[in-house]
Amino acid sequence: MTFIFKSQPLINQRGGDKAVLFGDDFINNIKVTYRAKYGEEFPELSHFLKKMLLQAMVEVMEDNRVLFNDDEIGFKGIIPAIFAAQLAAKLSTKGVGLKIKFTRTKDDIRNVMNLPDEWEEMVMQKVINKPAVYFDNNGMLDGNPAYRQFTPLPMAAYCLKCHGSMEHNPLNFGKDKSQWTNIDMTGFEMENWTISDFGGGVSLSIEKSVLE
Amino acid sequence: MIFLTHRDTENHLKSSLNFLLFCILFLFAGSTYSKSLKIGIVEYPPHLIFQNNQVSGKLFDYINSVLSPLNYDVEIIRLPNGRGVLELKKGNIDMLIPYDDVTEDIDTLASPLFHPVPGLCFKKENFIPILSATHRFKELTVGVPLGAPIVAALKNSEAILFEIKGDDAISRGIALTQIGRIDAFYHPSPAQVYHQENKAYKELACSYFHGYSNGVFIAVSPFMKHKDFQVVDARLKEAMAVMTYSYYFAK
Repeated sequence: MTFIFKSQPLINQRGGDKAVLFGDDFINNIKVTYRAKYGEEFPELSHFLKKMLLQAMVEVMEDNRVLFNDDEIGFKGIIPAIFAAQLAAKLSTKGVGLKIKFTRTKDDIRNVMNLPDEWEEMVMQKVINKPAVYFDNNGMLDGNPAYRQFTPLPMAAYCLKCHGSMEHNPLNFGKDKSQWTNIDMTGFEMENWTISDFGGGVSLSIEKSVLE
Repeated sequence: MIFLTHRDTENHLKSSLNFLLFCILFLFAGSTYSKSLKIGIVEYPPHLIFQNNQVSGKLFDYINSVLSPLNYDVEIIRLPNGRGVLELKKGNIDMLIPYDDVTEDIDTLASPLFHPVPGLCFKKENFIPILSATHRFKELTVGVPLGAPIVAALKNSEAILFEIKGDDAISRGIALTQIGRIDAFYHPSPAQVYHQENKAYKELACSYFHGYSNGVFIAVSPFMKHKDFQVVDARLKEAMAVMTYSYYFAK
Protein backbone atom coordinates (compact mmCIF):
# COMPACT_ATOMS: atom_id res chain seq x y z
CA MET A 1 0.00 0.00 0.00
CA THR A 2 2.84 2.37 0.92
CA PHE A 3 4.59 1.67 -2.37
CA ILE A 4 1.35 2.19 -4.30
CA PHE A 5 0.85 5.50 -2.54
CA LYS A 6 4.45 6.59 -3.22
CA SER A 7 4.09 5.56 -6.86
CA GLN A 8 1.00 7.66 -7.59
CA PRO A 9 2.92 10.27 -9.63
CA LEU A 10 4.53 7.53 -11.72
CA ILE A 11 1.27 5.58 -12.13
CA ASN A 12 -0.61 8.68 -13.29
CA GLN A 13 2.08 10.32 -15.39
CA ARG A 14 1.68 10.26 -19.16
CA GLY A 15 4.54 8.44 -20.79
CA GLY A 16 7.85 7.39 -19.31
CA ASP A 17 9.31 4.10 -18.22
CA LYS A 18 7.06 2.36 -15.70
CA ALA A 19 8.95 -0.95 -15.50
CA VAL A 20 9.36 -0.64 -11.72
CA LEU A 21 5.64 -1.27 -11.36
CA PHE A 22 5.74 -4.76 -12.84
CA GLY A 23 7.10 -8.26 -12.31
CA ASP A 24 10.29 -8.83 -10.34
CA ASP A 25 11.05 -5.09 -10.27
CA PHE A 26 7.78 -4.53 -8.45
CA ILE A 27 8.60 -7.23 -5.87
CA ASN A 28 12.04 -5.68 -5.30
CA ASN A 29 10.41 -2.31 -4.69
CA ILE A 30 7.97 -3.85 -2.21
CA LYS A 31 10.93 -5.32 -0.33
CA VAL A 32 12.85 -2.03 -0.32
CA THR A 33 9.76 -0.17 0.91
CA TYR A 34 9.23 -2.75 3.66
CA ARG A 35 12.85 -2.48 4.85
CA ALA A 36 12.64 1.31 4.91
CA LYS A 37 9.32 1.35 6.76
CA TYR A 38 9.92 -1.38 9.36
CA GLY A 39 13.71 -1.34 9.63
CA GLU A 40 13.98 -5.09 9.17
CA GLU A 41 14.49 -7.58 6.37
CA PHE A 42 11.51 -8.58 4.26
CA PRO A 43 10.08 -11.86 5.64
CA GLU A 44 11.33 -15.13 4.10
CA LEU A 45 8.87 -16.59 1.61
CA SER A 46 8.79 -19.78 3.64
CA HIS A 47 5.11 -20.63 3.13
CA PHE A 48 3.23 -20.89 -0.13
CA LEU A 49 0.66 -18.35 1.13
CA LYS A 50 3.36 -15.68 1.34
CA LYS A 51 4.49 -16.51 -2.19
CA MET A 52 0.89 -16.50 -3.37
CA LEU A 53 0.31 -13.08 -1.82
CA LEU A 54 3.31 -11.56 -3.60
CA GLN A 55 2.35 -13.27 -6.86
CA ALA A 56 -1.18 -11.89 -6.57
CA MET A 57 0.23 -8.37 -6.13
CA VAL A 58 2.29 -8.76 -9.30
CA GLU A 59 -0.76 -10.07 -11.14
CA VAL A 60 -2.83 -7.06 -10.04
CA MET A 61 -0.19 -4.69 -11.36
CA GLU A 62 -0.04 -6.63 -14.63
CA ASP A 63 -3.83 -6.43 -14.96
CA ASN A 64 -3.41 -2.66 -14.95
CA ARG A 65 -0.40 -2.47 -17.26
CA VAL A 66 -2.32 -1.26 -20.31
CA LEU A 67 -4.03 1.44 -18.27
CA PHE A 68 -0.75 2.55 -16.65
CA ASN A 69 0.80 2.87 -20.10
CA ASP A 70 -2.20 4.62 -21.64
CA ASP A 71 -0.71 8.07 -22.24
CA GLU A 72 -4.07 9.64 -23.02
CA ILE A 73 -5.42 9.04 -19.51
CA GLY A 74 -4.12 11.01 -16.55
CA PHE A 75 -5.68 9.77 -13.33
CA LYS A 76 -5.68 5.98 -13.54
CA GLY A 77 -7.67 5.32 -10.36
CA ILE A 78 -5.21 2.81 -8.88
CA ILE A 79 -4.97 4.39 -5.45
CA PRO A 80 -4.01 2.26 -2.39
CA ALA A 81 -7.64 1.41 -1.50
CA ILE A 82 -8.38 0.31 -5.06
CA PHE A 83 -5.18 -1.71 -5.20
CA ALA A 84 -6.21 -3.42 -1.95
CA ALA A 85 -9.69 -4.14 -3.33
CA GLN A 86 -8.21 -5.60 -6.53
CA LEU A 87 -5.79 -7.70 -4.52
CA ALA A 88 -8.62 -9.01 -2.34
CA ALA A 89 -10.65 -9.90 -5.44
CA LYS A 90 -7.62 -11.62 -7.00
CA LEU A 91 -6.95 -13.69 -3.89
CA SER A 92 -10.57 -14.76 -3.66
CA THR A 93 -10.25 -16.45 -7.08
CA LYS A 94 -7.31 -18.54 -5.96
CA GLY A 95 -9.12 -20.63 -3.36
CA VAL A 96 -6.09 -20.76 -1.08
CA GLY A 97 -7.87 -20.02 2.20
CA LEU A 98 -6.51 -16.50 2.49
CA LYS A 99 -8.74 -13.44 2.48
CA ILE A 100 -7.80 -9.80 2.72
CA LYS A 101 -10.30 -6.98 2.92
CA PHE A 102 -9.85 -3.25 3.30
CA THR A 103 -13.01 -2.32 5.18
CA ARG A 104 -14.74 0.21 7.39
CA THR A 105 -18.00 0.51 9.32
CA LYS A 106 -20.86 -0.33 6.97
CA ASP A 107 -22.60 3.04 6.96
CA ASP A 108 -19.51 4.70 5.46
CA ILE A 109 -18.36 2.17 2.91
CA ARG A 110 -17.87 3.25 -0.70
CA ASN A 111 -17.47 -0.12 -2.40
CA VAL A 112 -20.13 -2.67 -1.49
CA MET A 113 -17.61 -5.44 -2.18
CA ASN A 114 -15.77 -4.23 0.94
CA LEU A 115 -18.76 -4.32 3.30
CA PRO A 116 -17.72 -5.72 6.69
CA ASP A 117 -18.99 -9.12 7.78
CA GLU A 118 -20.41 -9.73 11.27
CA TRP A 119 -16.99 -10.41 12.81
CA GLU A 120 -15.42 -7.30 11.27
CA GLU A 121 -18.34 -5.13 12.35
CA MET A 122 -18.07 -6.47 15.92
CA VAL A 123 -14.29 -5.90 16.04
CA MET A 124 -14.55 -2.36 14.66
CA GLN A 125 -17.06 -1.44 17.33
CA LYS A 126 -14.49 -2.58 19.89
CA VAL A 127 -11.49 -0.73 18.45
CA ILE A 128 -13.09 2.32 16.86
CA ASN A 129 -12.36 4.60 19.82
CA LYS A 130 -9.08 2.99 20.81
CA PRO A 131 -7.44 1.60 17.67
CA ALA A 132 -5.39 -1.55 18.29
CA VAL A 133 -4.67 -4.74 16.40
CA TYR A 134 -7.31 -7.35 17.18
CA PHE A 135 -6.44 -11.05 16.82
CA ASP A 136 -8.92 -13.91 16.98
CA ASN A 137 -7.65 -17.46 17.34
CA ASN A 138 -11.12 -18.90 16.97
CA GLY A 139 -12.55 -17.13 13.95
CA MET A 140 -14.34 -18.62 10.96
CA LEU A 141 -13.84 -18.08 7.23
CA ASP A 142 -16.38 -19.45 4.75
CA GLY A 143 -17.57 -21.89 7.40
CA ASN A 144 -14.07 -23.11 8.25
CA PRO A 145 -12.02 -22.43 11.41
CA ALA A 146 -9.66 -19.56 10.76
CA TYR A 147 -7.22 -17.14 12.30
CA ARG A 148 -8.50 -13.62 11.88
CA GLN A 149 -6.85 -10.29 12.46
CA PHE A 150 -8.04 -6.73 12.11
CA THR A 151 -5.41 -4.01 11.85
CA PRO A 152 -6.78 -0.46 12.12
CA LEU A 153 -5.29 2.01 9.68
CA PRO A 154 -4.52 5.45 11.06
CA MET A 155 -6.01 8.26 9.02
CA ALA A 156 -3.22 9.94 7.09
CA ALA A 157 -3.04 13.24 5.26
CA TYR A 158 -3.25 11.48 1.88
CA CYS A 159 -6.52 9.75 2.93
CA LEU A 160 -8.11 13.17 3.33
CA LYS A 161 -7.49 14.04 -0.32
CA CYS A 162 -10.54 11.90 -1.05
CA HIS A 163 -12.26 11.41 2.31
CA GLY A 164 -11.64 14.82 3.86
CA SER A 165 -13.34 18.10 3.08
CA MET A 166 -13.20 20.36 0.06
CA GLU A 167 -9.99 22.14 1.09
CA HIS A 168 -8.17 18.77 0.95
CA ASN A 169 -9.38 17.94 -2.54
CA PRO A 170 -6.52 18.34 -5.06
CA LEU A 171 -9.11 19.12 -7.73
CA ASN A 172 -9.80 22.35 -5.86
CA PHE A 173 -6.19 23.46 -5.48
CA GLY A 174 -5.58 26.88 -6.99
CA LYS A 175 -9.28 27.50 -7.63
CA ASP A 176 -11.58 30.10 -6.16
CA LYS A 177 -13.72 28.72 -3.30
CA SER A 178 -16.86 29.33 -5.35
CA GLN A 179 -15.60 26.73 -7.83
CA TRP A 180 -14.70 24.05 -5.31
CA THR A 181 -16.24 20.64 -5.59
CA ASN A 182 -16.95 18.02 -2.94
CA ILE A 183 -16.55 15.24 -5.51
CA ASP A 184 -13.09 13.70 -5.20
CA MET A 185 -10.83 12.57 -8.01
CA THR A 186 -12.30 9.04 -7.91
CA GLY A 187 -15.81 10.35 -8.49
CA PHE A 188 -17.18 9.91 -4.96
CA GLU A 189 -18.63 12.54 -2.66
CA MET A 190 -16.12 13.46 0.05
CA GLU A 191 -17.03 12.39 3.60
CA ASN A 192 -15.61 15.38 5.55
CA TRP A 193 -13.52 13.12 7.76
CA THR A 194 -10.69 14.61 9.81
CA ILE A 195 -7.27 13.27 10.73
CA SER A 196 -8.63 12.04 14.08
CA ASP A 197 -11.43 9.95 12.53
CA PHE A 198 -11.39 6.16 12.35
CA GLY A 199 -9.70 5.11 9.09
CA GLY A 200 -11.07 1.60 8.81
CA GLY A 201 -8.57 -1.20 8.60
CA VAL A 202 -7.23 -4.32 6.98
CA SER A 203 -9.02 -7.55 7.81
CA LEU A 204 -6.89 -10.65 7.28
CA SER A 205 -8.24 -14.19 7.55
CA ILE A 206 -6.37 -17.46 7.07
CA GLU A 207 -8.04 -20.85 7.26
CA LYS A 208 -6.34 -22.94 9.94
CA SER A 209 -6.13 -25.98 7.68
CA VAL A 210 -3.83 -24.03 5.36
CA LEU A 211 -1.26 -23.53 8.10
CA GLU A 212 -1.43 -27.04 9.57
CA MET B 1 -25.62 -74.26 -54.00
CA ILE B 2 -21.81 -74.05 -53.67
CA PHE B 3 -19.66 -77.17 -53.47
CA LEU B 4 -16.31 -76.75 -51.79
CA THR B 5 -13.36 -78.89 -52.93
CA HIS B 6 -10.65 -79.94 -50.45
CA ARG B 7 -8.45 -77.10 -51.76
CA ASP B 8 -11.28 -74.61 -51.35
CA THR B 9 -11.77 -75.79 -47.79
CA GLU B 10 -8.04 -75.39 -47.08
CA ASN B 11 -8.03 -71.87 -48.53
CA HIS B 12 -11.18 -71.00 -46.62
CA LEU B 13 -9.57 -72.24 -43.41
CA LYS B 14 -6.41 -70.24 -44.12
CA SER B 15 -8.35 -67.06 -44.79
CA SER B 16 -10.41 -67.60 -41.65
CA LEU B 17 -7.25 -68.03 -39.59
CA ASN B 18 -5.77 -64.89 -41.16
CA PHE B 19 -8.96 -63.01 -40.36
CA LEU B 20 -8.86 -64.31 -36.79
CA LEU B 21 -5.22 -63.26 -36.46
CA PHE B 22 -6.09 -59.82 -37.87
CA CYS B 23 -8.90 -59.48 -35.35
CA ILE B 24 -6.63 -60.45 -32.43
CA LEU B 25 -3.93 -58.01 -33.54
CA PHE B 26 -6.52 -55.30 -34.07
CA LEU B 27 -8.02 -55.85 -30.63
CA PHE B 28 -4.58 -55.97 -29.05
CA ALA B 29 -3.60 -52.75 -30.79
CA GLY B 30 -6.84 -51.17 -29.62
CA SER B 31 -6.13 -52.10 -26.03
CA THR B 32 -2.70 -50.41 -25.94
CA TYR B 33 -2.62 -46.89 -24.46
CA SER B 34 -2.37 -44.40 -27.28
CA LYS B 35 -0.73 -41.13 -26.09
CA SER B 36 -2.15 -38.58 -28.42
CA LEU B 37 -4.20 -35.46 -27.79
CA LYS B 38 -6.11 -33.27 -30.19
CA ILE B 39 -6.33 -29.79 -28.73
CA GLY B 40 -8.69 -27.24 -30.21
CA ILE B 41 -7.64 -23.64 -29.72
CA VAL B 42 -9.79 -20.56 -30.09
CA GLU B 43 -8.14 -17.15 -30.38
CA TYR B 44 -8.24 -15.28 -27.06
CA PRO B 45 -5.97 -12.24 -27.16
CA PRO B 46 -3.65 -11.38 -25.56
CA HIS B 47 -3.31 -14.91 -24.17
CA LEU B 48 -3.73 -16.85 -27.43
CA ILE B 49 -3.09 -15.16 -30.75
CA PHE B 50 -3.43 -16.53 -34.30
CA GLN B 51 -0.84 -15.04 -36.62
CA ASN B 52 0.64 -16.34 -39.88
CA ASN B 53 -1.14 -19.69 -39.48
CA GLN B 54 0.50 -20.17 -36.09
CA VAL B 55 -0.74 -20.03 -32.52
CA SER B 56 1.27 -17.87 -30.15
CA GLY B 57 0.80 -16.19 -26.80
CA LYS B 58 1.78 -16.86 -23.23
CA LEU B 59 -1.09 -19.26 -22.60
CA PHE B 60 0.09 -21.40 -25.51
CA ASP B 61 3.63 -21.44 -24.08
CA TYR B 62 2.32 -22.29 -20.62
CA ILE B 63 0.17 -25.17 -21.86
CA ASN B 64 3.13 -26.50 -23.86
CA SER B 65 5.29 -26.48 -20.75
CA VAL B 66 2.53 -28.19 -18.76
CA LEU B 67 2.00 -30.97 -21.30
CA SER B 68 5.53 -31.59 -22.56
CA PRO B 69 6.63 -33.80 -19.59
CA LEU B 70 3.70 -36.10 -20.36
CA ASN B 71 5.10 -36.96 -23.83
CA TYR B 72 1.81 -36.81 -25.64
CA ASP B 73 1.68 -36.64 -29.39
CA VAL B 74 -0.21 -33.32 -29.51
CA GLU B 75 -2.11 -32.05 -32.52
CA ILE B 76 -3.15 -28.39 -32.37
CA ILE B 77 -6.28 -27.43 -34.27
CA ARG B 78 -7.12 -23.74 -34.65
CA LEU B 79 -10.86 -23.12 -34.48
CA PRO B 80 -13.07 -20.11 -35.03
CA ASN B 81 -15.18 -18.79 -32.14
CA GLY B 82 -18.23 -20.92 -31.60
CA ARG B 83 -16.88 -24.03 -33.38
CA GLY B 84 -14.84 -25.24 -30.43
CA VAL B 85 -17.69 -26.55 -28.32
CA LEU B 86 -19.30 -28.28 -31.32
CA GLU B 87 -16.07 -30.10 -32.18
CA LEU B 88 -15.61 -31.01 -28.53
CA LYS B 89 -19.11 -32.49 -28.26
CA LYS B 90 -18.58 -34.51 -31.45
CA GLY B 91 -15.34 -35.89 -30.06
CA ASN B 92 -13.26 -34.43 -32.92
CA ILE B 93 -11.00 -32.81 -30.32
CA ASP B 94 -10.06 -33.99 -26.83
CA MET B 95 -9.64 -30.60 -25.23
CA LEU B 96 -10.63 -27.02 -25.97
CA ILE B 97 -8.64 -23.99 -24.83
CA PRO B 98 -9.87 -21.63 -23.54
CA TYR B 99 -13.41 -22.23 -22.31
CA ASP B 100 -15.36 -19.62 -20.37
CA ASP B 101 -19.03 -20.20 -21.15
CA VAL B 102 -20.73 -20.68 -17.81
CA THR B 103 -24.07 -21.44 -19.48
CA GLU B 104 -22.96 -24.63 -21.29
CA ASP B 105 -22.84 -27.99 -19.51
CA ILE B 106 -19.30 -28.98 -20.49
CA ASP B 107 -16.73 -30.85 -18.41
CA THR B 108 -13.49 -29.07 -17.68
CA LEU B 109 -10.19 -29.73 -15.98
CA ALA B 110 -10.51 -28.81 -12.32
CA SER B 111 -8.09 -25.86 -12.16
CA PRO B 112 -9.17 -22.63 -13.81
CA LEU B 113 -6.40 -21.12 -15.92
CA PHE B 114 -7.22 -17.55 -14.97
CA HIS B 115 -10.13 -15.29 -14.08
CA PRO B 116 -11.00 -12.54 -16.55
CA VAL B 117 -12.79 -9.59 -15.02
CA PRO B 118 -15.72 -7.98 -16.85
CA GLY B 119 -15.73 -4.26 -17.36
CA LEU B 120 -16.83 -1.21 -19.29
CA CYS B 121 -15.08 0.36 -22.26
CA PHE B 122 -15.40 4.11 -22.75
CA LYS B 123 -14.12 6.71 -25.14
CA LYS B 124 -11.02 7.96 -23.40
CA GLU B 125 -12.44 11.41 -22.72
CA ASN B 126 -15.36 9.81 -20.84
CA PHE B 127 -13.28 7.24 -18.94
CA ILE B 128 -14.51 6.19 -15.48
CA PRO B 129 -11.56 4.49 -13.75
CA ILE B 130 -13.33 3.17 -10.65
CA LEU B 131 -16.48 1.20 -11.40
CA SER B 132 -17.54 0.85 -7.78
CA ALA B 133 -18.57 4.51 -8.22
CA THR B 134 -21.83 3.26 -9.74
CA HIS B 135 -23.58 6.59 -9.16
CA ARG B 136 -21.55 7.81 -12.13
CA PHE B 137 -23.47 5.45 -14.42
CA LYS B 138 -26.66 7.49 -13.96
CA GLU B 139 -28.23 8.05 -17.36
CA LEU B 140 -25.26 6.60 -19.23
CA THR B 141 -26.30 4.44 -22.15
CA VAL B 142 -24.36 1.22 -21.85
CA GLY B 143 -24.38 -1.36 -24.63
CA VAL B 144 -24.57 -4.98 -23.48
CA PRO B 145 -24.37 -8.10 -25.67
CA LEU B 146 -27.77 -9.79 -25.64
CA GLY B 147 -27.79 -12.72 -23.23
CA ALA B 148 -24.46 -11.86 -21.60
CA PRO B 149 -24.51 -12.25 -17.82
CA ILE B 150 -24.36 -8.71 -16.42
CA VAL B 151 -22.72 -7.98 -13.07
CA ALA B 152 -25.02 -6.82 -10.27
CA ALA B 153 -23.19 -3.49 -9.90
CA LEU B 154 -24.24 -2.51 -13.43
CA LYS B 155 -27.66 -4.17 -13.37
CA ASN B 156 -28.62 -2.36 -10.16
CA SER B 157 -27.26 1.00 -11.29
CA GLU B 158 -29.17 3.77 -13.03
CA ALA B 159 -27.44 3.13 -16.34
CA ILE B 160 -29.65 2.71 -19.39
CA LEU B 161 -28.85 -0.75 -20.73
CA PHE B 162 -29.01 -1.07 -24.50
CA GLU B 163 -29.04 -4.66 -25.74
CA ILE B 164 -27.00 -5.45 -28.82
CA LYS B 165 -27.98 -8.57 -30.76
CA GLY B 166 -26.01 -10.82 -33.05
CA ASP B 167 -22.81 -12.86 -33.09
CA ASP B 168 -20.74 -9.72 -33.58
CA ALA B 169 -22.38 -7.87 -30.66
CA ILE B 170 -19.04 -7.14 -29.03
CA SER B 171 -17.42 -5.57 -32.08
CA ARG B 172 -20.61 -3.63 -32.85
CA GLY B 173 -20.79 -2.42 -29.27
CA ILE B 174 -17.23 -1.21 -29.45
CA ALA B 175 -17.93 0.51 -32.77
CA LEU B 176 -21.03 2.24 -31.34
CA THR B 177 -18.96 3.48 -28.41
CA GLN B 178 -16.27 4.80 -30.71
CA ILE B 179 -18.74 6.84 -32.76
CA GLY B 180 -20.46 8.09 -29.61
CA ARG B 181 -23.86 6.41 -30.16
CA ILE B 182 -23.55 4.84 -26.71
CA ASP B 183 -21.55 6.04 -23.71
CA ALA B 184 -19.93 2.74 -22.82
CA PHE B 185 -19.89 -0.89 -23.72
CA TYR B 186 -20.04 -3.85 -21.34
CA HIS B 187 -17.38 -6.41 -22.18
CA PRO B 188 -17.15 -9.80 -20.41
CA SER B 189 -13.36 -9.57 -20.66
CA PRO B 190 -12.10 -6.16 -21.80
CA ALA B 191 -8.50 -7.35 -21.55
CA GLN B 192 -9.17 -9.13 -24.84
CA VAL B 193 -9.57 -5.83 -26.66
CA TYR B 194 -7.90 -3.27 -24.42
CA HIS B 195 -4.28 -4.23 -24.95
CA GLN B 196 -1.36 -2.54 -26.58
CA GLU B 197 -1.28 -4.68 -29.72
CA ASN B 198 -4.85 -3.77 -30.61
CA LYS B 199 -4.59 -0.66 -32.74
CA ALA B 200 -8.33 -0.72 -33.47
CA TYR B 201 -9.19 0.38 -29.95
CA LYS B 202 -6.89 3.36 -29.61
CA GLU B 203 -9.82 5.67 -28.85
CA LEU B 204 -11.11 3.50 -26.00
CA ALA B 205 -10.08 2.68 -22.48
CA CYS B 206 -11.60 0.03 -20.27
CA SER B 207 -12.00 -0.36 -16.54
CA TYR B 208 -13.04 -3.38 -14.54
CA PHE B 209 -15.68 -4.70 -12.15
CA HIS B 210 -13.21 -6.26 -9.74
CA GLY B 211 -14.75 -8.93 -7.58
CA TYR B 212 -16.99 -10.23 -10.36
CA SER B 213 -14.99 -12.78 -12.27
CA ASN B 214 -15.56 -16.23 -13.72
CA GLY B 215 -12.91 -18.81 -14.42
CA VAL B 216 -11.45 -19.65 -17.81
CA PHE B 217 -10.89 -23.40 -18.08
CA ILE B 218 -9.68 -26.14 -20.36
CA ALA B 219 -12.80 -27.96 -21.55
CA VAL B 220 -12.66 -31.69 -22.20
CA SER B 221 -14.59 -33.88 -24.62
CA PRO B 222 -17.14 -36.35 -23.22
CA PHE B 223 -15.23 -38.94 -25.29
CA MET B 224 -11.81 -38.17 -23.77
CA LYS B 225 -10.24 -41.27 -22.23
CA HIS B 226 -10.60 -41.20 -18.45
CA LYS B 227 -6.93 -42.04 -18.00
CA ASP B 228 -5.90 -39.09 -20.19
CA PHE B 229 -8.21 -36.81 -18.25
CA GLN B 230 -6.70 -37.87 -14.93
CA VAL B 231 -3.12 -37.53 -16.15
CA VAL B 232 -3.61 -34.07 -17.68
CA ASP B 233 -5.75 -32.80 -14.81
CA ALA B 234 -3.15 -33.86 -12.23
CA ARG B 235 -0.33 -32.34 -14.29
CA LEU B 236 -2.13 -28.99 -14.60
CA LYS B 237 -2.78 -28.91 -10.85
CA GLU B 238 0.87 -29.66 -10.19
CA ALA B 239 2.03 -26.92 -12.59
CA MET B 240 -0.39 -24.37 -11.13
CA ALA B 241 0.90 -25.10 -7.62
CA VAL B 242 4.41 -24.22 -8.77
CA MET B 243 3.38 -21.16 -10.77
CA THR B 244 -0.13 -20.05 -11.71
CA TYR B 245 -0.74 -19.07 -15.30
CA SER B 246 -1.70 -15.56 -14.17
CA TYR B 247 1.70 -15.12 -12.55
CA TYR B 248 3.45 -16.64 -15.56
CA PHE B 249 1.61 -14.10 -17.71
CA ALA B 250 2.54 -11.24 -15.35
CA LYS B 251 6.23 -12.10 -15.07
